[in-house]
Amino acid sequence: MNRVFSLAAATLFAVTLAVPAAPAPTVDKIVADYVAARGGLTKIRALKTLRQTGRIFAGQGREALVVREVKPPGRIRVQFTIQGVTAVFASNGTTGWKVSPFEDDMALKELPEEVTREAIDQTDIEGPLVDWKAKGNTVEFAGNETVNGQATYKLKVTLKSGAVRYSYIDVASHFEVRVDSTRQVKGLDLKIETTFTDHQKTGGVLFPRKIEIAAEGRPQHARVVVDKVELNPALSDALFERPNLPKP
Amino acid sequence: MRKLPFLLFLVPAALFADVVYLQGAGTITGRIVEQTATTVQVDVGGGIIGVPMSNVERIVKARCPLDDFEARAAKLAANDTAGWLKLAEWASQNGLPMNAHDAYEKALASSPDNAEARQALGYTKLNGRWLTEDEAYQASGYVKYNGEWMTPSQAQIEQTNEAQDKARKDAEYAAVAAEQRAADAEARAEEAEKEAKKAQEAQQYAYPGYGYGYYGGYAYGVTTWPTGTGPSLGAGSRPSGGGRR
Repeated sequence: MNRVFSLAAATLFAVTLAVPAAPAPTVDKIVADYVAARGGLTKIRALKTLRQTGRIFAGQGREALVVREVKPPGRIRVQFTIQGVTAVFASNGTTGWKVSPFEDDMALKELPEEVTREAIDQTDIEGPLVDWKAKGNTVEFAGNETVNGQATYKLKVTLKSGAVRYSYIDVASHFEVRVDSTRQVKGLDLKIETTFTDHQKTGGVLFPRKIEIAAEGRPQHARVVVDKVELNPALSDALFERPNLPKP
Repeated sequence: MRKLPFLLFLVPAALFADVVYLQGAGTITGRIVEQTATTVQVDVGGGIIGVPMSNVERIVKARCPLDDFEARAAKLAANDTAGWLKLAEWASQNGLPMNAHDAYEKALASSPDNAEARQALGYTKLNGRWLTEDEAYQASGYVKYNGEWMTPSQAQIEQTNEAQDKARKDAEYAAVAAEQRAADAEARAEEAEKEAKKAQEAQQYAYPGYGYGYYGGYAYGVTTWPTGTGPSLGAGSRPSGGGRR
């Protein structure tokens, strides 16, 4: 109990120290600074397709090579390779499909609707804060918080789809350093914290190269290391479409 | 350098791995150990995977990371800790986590306190002692619930949610069962009514004095209404067909 109290007190102290005396800037100012830090609107808007290659580590020796290809609107294809076995999950913006030998199933299958919806939400390469009004998203200031010892502005972002996430923008660098979202896991709403570090520019646009995903109340984190970012690679629409297989 | 293309022709195809392309997307890369008309068995370096031929689009020979791993491992001495660490990292970068694990184990065998190998294998140093991931979570006060480590309070939340979810589902099943029993009873009641009418007509012929009331009483009486468990569904059983689930 003492330990919990000490932790809470320390956190409260840190938060108190971090809160700037001056009033917080407007949402528009926070977002404008964030967009500028990412490379500016022109460069961000020039992104038509994106390919990220890296590795994901999930503890207990579980790791995979990951290739994530995105072509808005709505098209996403994620490929995982573990020990010579490659699985593919994709969506064309309307429906989703997978071939997932890891699940002991070599056949092509439809993705559940909720999984497809979640995947489509991730295809906004620009991010939901860029042109948020035009995209039908809403953004509200939700306070000041400290993330990994750094002062941040907390923004509540409600996507057009209705999904809510909280974005933490570093006060000093204006980088997005954390996003909180809620995901259904085994029928339960679970808070997911995604932390971004090691930001680097590719083609003048900023990308985090280390991403850590933590679920509420669980010590095991998934770590993603992005080894390569490719801007505007040639991605045909067919990559995302469900392959037409001959009838058995 | 000019000799390279020629030398490549001399490399037997059997040295290359097999890439099994699945119908639609996805691949299995390794060495085919058995192939029949219905199945192909592929050794991926960490186990054998069976693929139904009906899911296979094509199979091609190609050099793969597993080939390179084995060639590099064959050249390393057992006590070459740095060499095994380098190979382990390479295997990890090339999607061979099981081979990476083996290479880290080799590094540990020659250098048991090597921090890089220990951390890569999931060990955490606590009070000067290397603990496995599970031991470290346990020592930090986490509990394992449904195969996942979590805080005791999170486990409590999930346990409560699961119990509530089960109670909700049980209530739904009970409602469906009751609905079905009611429908069965109604059908039987209708049938009984028809039978009663027939019998009444017959009785009216044979025994005019009994009248309609008796048979009517029987047809709509207690015996055809569902009892506690009903005629077709035992307590707690689920409907075998139809209705909501």
